[in-house]
Amino acid sequence: MAGALEFIPAIPLLPFASFLVALLAGYFAPKLLPKGGAIPGIVATAGSLVVSVWAFVTVSQGEYIAESIYTWVAAPNAFSLHFGVLVDPLAAMMLVIVSLVAFLVHVFSLGYMNDEGEGGLHRYYAGLGLFTFSMLAFVVADNLLMAFMFFELVGLCSYLLIGFHFRQQGPPSAAKKAFLVTRFGDYFFLIGVVAVFATFGTARFVATGEGAHAFPHMAEQALAAVGGEGTMPAHVAHFLDVVGMSAQQWFSVVGLLVLGGVIGKSAQFPLHTWLPDAMEGPTPVSALIHAATMVAAGVYLVARMYGFYALLPTVLAIIALVGGFTALFAATMGVVKDELKQVLAYSTISQYGYMMLGLGTGGYIAASFHLLTHAFFKALLFLGAGSVIIAMHHNENMWDMGGLRKKMPVTYYTFLSGSLALAGIVPFAGFWSKDEILYEALIYGAGDSPILLAAYAMGLLAVFFTGFYTFRMVVLTFHGEPRSDTAEDPHGVRWNVKFPLVVLGVLAATVGLVNMTPVAEATGLHIEFLHTWLAGPEGTAFSALGYEHYHHLLESFAGYHAADIAPFVPAAVSLALALGGAGLAWLLYSGPAPTKHTEKLGAARTLLYNNYYQDEYQVWLAKGVTLPLARGADTFDQGVIDGIVNAVSSISLFSGGRIRRIQDGIVSHYATMLTLGLVALLVVFGVTGGWF
Amino acid sequence: MTELPPLTPQFVLVAAALLVFGVDTLLPDRDNNTLLAGIATAGTLLAAGTAAWFLSAGTGDAQFVQFDGAIIVDALSLFFVVVVGSVGTLVVMASHDYLDDADSVAEFYALTLLAATGMTLMAAANSLVTVFISLELASLPSYVLVSYLKRDRGSIEAGLKYFLIGALSSGVMLYGISLVYAATGVMGLPAIADTITAGTDFVGVLGLGIVMLVAGFAFKTASVPFHFWAPEAYEGAPAPVSAFISSASKAAGFAVLFRVFTTAFPLDVIAGTVIDWSLLFAALAVVTMTLGNFAAATQENVKRMLAYSSVGHAGYVLIGLAALQSGGGAQNSLVLGASMMHLLVYGFMNTGAFLFVALAEYWDVGRTFEDYNGLSKRAPVACVAMTVFMFSLAGLPVGAGFLSKYVLFAGAVQSGFAWLAGIAAINSALSLFYYSRVVKALWIEDPRDDLSLSGQPTGLYVAVLAAAVGTIALLVAFDPVAQTATHAADVLFAG
Repeated sequence: MAGALEFIPAIPLLPFASFLVALLAGYFAPKLLPKGGAIPGIVATAGSLVVSVWAFVTVSQGEYIAESIYTWVAAPNAFSLHFGVLVDPLAAMMLVIVSLVAFLVHVFSLGYMNDEGEGGLHRYYAGLGLFTFSMLAFVVADNLLMAFMFFELVGLCSYLLIGFHFRQQGPPSAAKKAFLVTRFGDYFFLIGVVAVFATFGTARFVATGEGAHAFPHMAEQALAAVGGEGTMPAHVAHFLDVVGMSAQQWFSVVGLLVLGGVIGKSAQFPLHTWLPDAMEGPTPVSALIHAATMVAAGVYLVARMYGFYALLPTVLAIIALVGGFTALFAATMGVVKDELKQVLAYSTISQYGYMMLGLGTGGYIAASFHLLTHAFFKALLFLGAGSVIIAMHHNENMWDMGGLRKKMPVTYYTFLSGSLALAGIVPFAGFWSKDEILYEALIYGAGDSPILLAAYAMGLLAVFFTGFYTFRMVVLTFHGEPRSDTAEDPHGVRWNVKFPLVVLGVLAATVGLVNMTPVAEATGLHIEFLHTWLAGPEGTAFSALGYEHYHHLLESFAGYHAADIAPFVPAAVSLALALGGAGLAWLLYSGPAPTKHTEKLGAARTLLYNNYYQDEYQVWLAKGVTLPLARGADTFDQGVIDGIVNAVSSISLFSGGRIRRIQDGIVSHYATMLTLGLVALLVVFGVTGGWF
Repeated sequence: MTELPPLTPQFVLVAAALLVFGVDTLLPDRDNNTLLAGIATAGTLLAAGTAAWFLSAGTGDAQFVQFDGAIIVDALSLFFVVVVGSVGTLVVMASHDYLDDADSVAEFYALTLLAATGMTLMAAANSLVTVFISLELASLPSYVLVSYLKRDRGSIEAGLKYFLIGALSSGVMLYGISLVYAATGVMGLPAIADTITAGTDFVGVLGLGIVMLVAGFAFKTASVPFHFWAPEAYEGAPAPVSAFISSASKAAGFAVLFRVFTTAFPLDVIAGTVIDWSLLFAALAVVTMTLGNFAAATQENVKRMLAYSSVGHAGYVLIGLAALQSGGGAQNSLVLGASMMHLLVYGFMNTGAFLFVALAEYWDVGRTFEDYNGLSKRAPVACVAMTVFMFSLAGLPVGAGFLSKYVLFAGAVQSGFAWLAGIAAINSALSLFYYSRVVKALWIEDPRDDLSLSGQPTGLYVAVLAAAVGTIALLVAFDPVAQTATHAADVLFAG
């Protein structure tokens, strides 16, 4: 089966071709573009999907690849900047997820955009193509710099697609907000990239071939040297001298800097505020970018360089706490939302919180597992919401829906499948993955890292809220009696909407079966396929990217030790909480005419409606703190700095005037000056050289 | 299988010059501008192409000694043939439109080709005699080219000043050569090194000779305090000629400077006994870049600003010599190679900038920053190109100027000259100020009401765009250039 890995560059390049086709043909010959660019996009993503699956199969036979494709700058004795591909089990899994969801979203767009008669379709499909290209290239990136570049590019695509309806008022503003907030995080990420280069001299994730180094491995060597084993790499030792910090401290700083980008992109507290606004974008875009893939980029990045993070217990604890807090915090806000996509947006934030929680608590496999299941069930829920929105003539308010169950059975059953997965009801996908995250958090927390128990508690509590808002959403949308005229007579949807829903619906129900830890534990069967998949090979350079290695790092560097707790009781607890939440929602909102119970919450409702005043405080931070600070800086700048600059420039203008006076146009003056200059040089060097 | 002679590029240039003369003699009455420009373009392009081919085929790996050691062909000389040839191509293409209504265009092309021959020979000169002769071969046609617009007072005045300062500098240099000869008794560069290694009694005479040689090269590269001619000559000359002199002639000056000082006066031999010339060049570098950038910041006239910025860039390139160390090894190759990279990139971006000025002169829009206001409304494509040149010259990553400056400064830091790199970085930041003034005028200011551009200068447009494409392409494909330049420096040090 060798050969698939040679086609890896084709995976991102195919959507890039469709981007070019949509862009150029859309501009010069719109008539020639079938379906406004949808067909090239579908063909390209289908091609990517085929190659991705092929690569996946090849990887499953133990063939990995990490090689440079294009060297941008190779300076001897300094670091080189290059593009390369790295495909290991994690990347192969992610490639399949991204290309599959991208393919389905392209198909769905036929129904959501083309059938609804939207204008500017070539712009839309060009954006989708560029996004798919960037995301796939990000996934296969073999070094941090390349990852950063494509990380930025997906951010740009997100901006372009959120603001697709740029003539309306909301979308451009939401696009700007998304861009600025994620950029704030990326600013730290960029410094982190530079810091990695400066510290290690390389930004590769894995070292293959002669003389190559990988920064996670160098960090491991450095920390081992601090502990008295082996020697510290000279480059690192030199740089640590420059910074004047211990290896542990400095690496933690670097890890936190990179984490800034992750928090922005994966919408973690406190940089999550852009994601709900991003729902202004077309719904297929929300499904692809703001649920299944781009938002996953942050989490994927942490997983990609897990060999680095696993060395740093402080950073891991921060990741776990941020994740747990975000999971709970976002889930409570999702409880009171009235618009379908808003509920889903907060649930997305919350679910990525779980993944961060998983990564922070050492559950590398659990987090990757949740990344996988969440991509499918959340894309499903968004596409289902898109289908409902088509039916409701673009009214998103759940209080105007109701009773859609009978009118759109396909959407209903697939949406239900996704909801059961989201709420974490056995045996749907989300149950297995979320439960595994919580289980890992519990055993490591009960081991030697009690701080993880706080994160665990938050994650566990969030399960209840998740069950509640999910079923509130399902009941309000699909059950009861229609509460408006459009809900009485919804707009039909065609195959191009139903097909993606069915594919994802089946996946949402079944994909959890690939890693049923509690069942494996109970029966002793070896059915933890994902665990085996990510464990990594032995004895090659790639073993540094496998879970076995990470586990070793977690134990010897981060001091994580698993307590011996069987998975059944925690699983039962979280299932009970999920069912409790779901049941409460059912109790409160079922019936033909549900009432708005949110009124009873009183002050808490206002707080929740206003999203804990997150936006307000960030605006206040911008206006109340940053602006006066900037004013102060401006005053300082105007007064002191400009004073100095003005002085310098008046000196330089004066001296410039002098130079001009010297440069007076009279050639004999020049000859004099030239000769005097020469004599001065001769005298200085003659006297110091002792020539006379 | 026959082999081409190593000096093929030079032969091609001479042949093209003779062909231009021949065509003009045989067909004196016809309007031959296009034909002649075509011949000249073909000649320069072929020379650059041959040199590039030689380089990629590995001809430069060894040193081909020609004419009993008077001339040498190696990676360094071929590299600079590429620089001179590509700048020459751009300039000749642009001149076609610039000279549309001029008389005697044949002389212009022929002189350009002959000057280019001189510059390529400078890069290959391996004896003080050939150094001097090739320098004069490059200089004399340049004087005539600067005063080519013989009914324009500015052009004539500039040419005369250039000639007078040039004559003085040549005299100083010739005197320096004679002193070096007096102290060593030989003219060949390797032979001089051997004599000095064996020991010389005339340390003072040798030292005086070396400093005077520096004066000659500093004139050619427009380094302070031998730069006085530069602003005047660049401003008065026809803009394509300014482009040619400020890019190609400067590059050739550096080529010969690099070879003479690394071959004839190796630092590890001479630094302890006669003169530590890296210190001398460090001083020149600091003064040159500071003065060039400060003076550029106060100019009103775009062409004059570019002239001073050209002085400033000479200062950056001097870092390549200033940061050499005795026994530096790979670091020496890196920093000297970085200077060569910068000269190649500079060849594109600076030529492009001057050719944009030529375009502006062709349209008759005026010479100051204000006159350029709002040009982007009328000529957006050319203005995009000019923006690329300006930002690339300032060292922003829209063009290869970013990378070459980066490698140069990084090389200086690695060699332990962080202070020099620091001064260069401050200067570079200052330069952003005056370069962005041009960009601001082009894009942000409103045009005058009566601004209208007439004429379709195809050749000029093509040359400007080609320079812009080159500047950007080098950013993407910088690695081969970097490898070649570092390799050329390796060959130079090994020889």
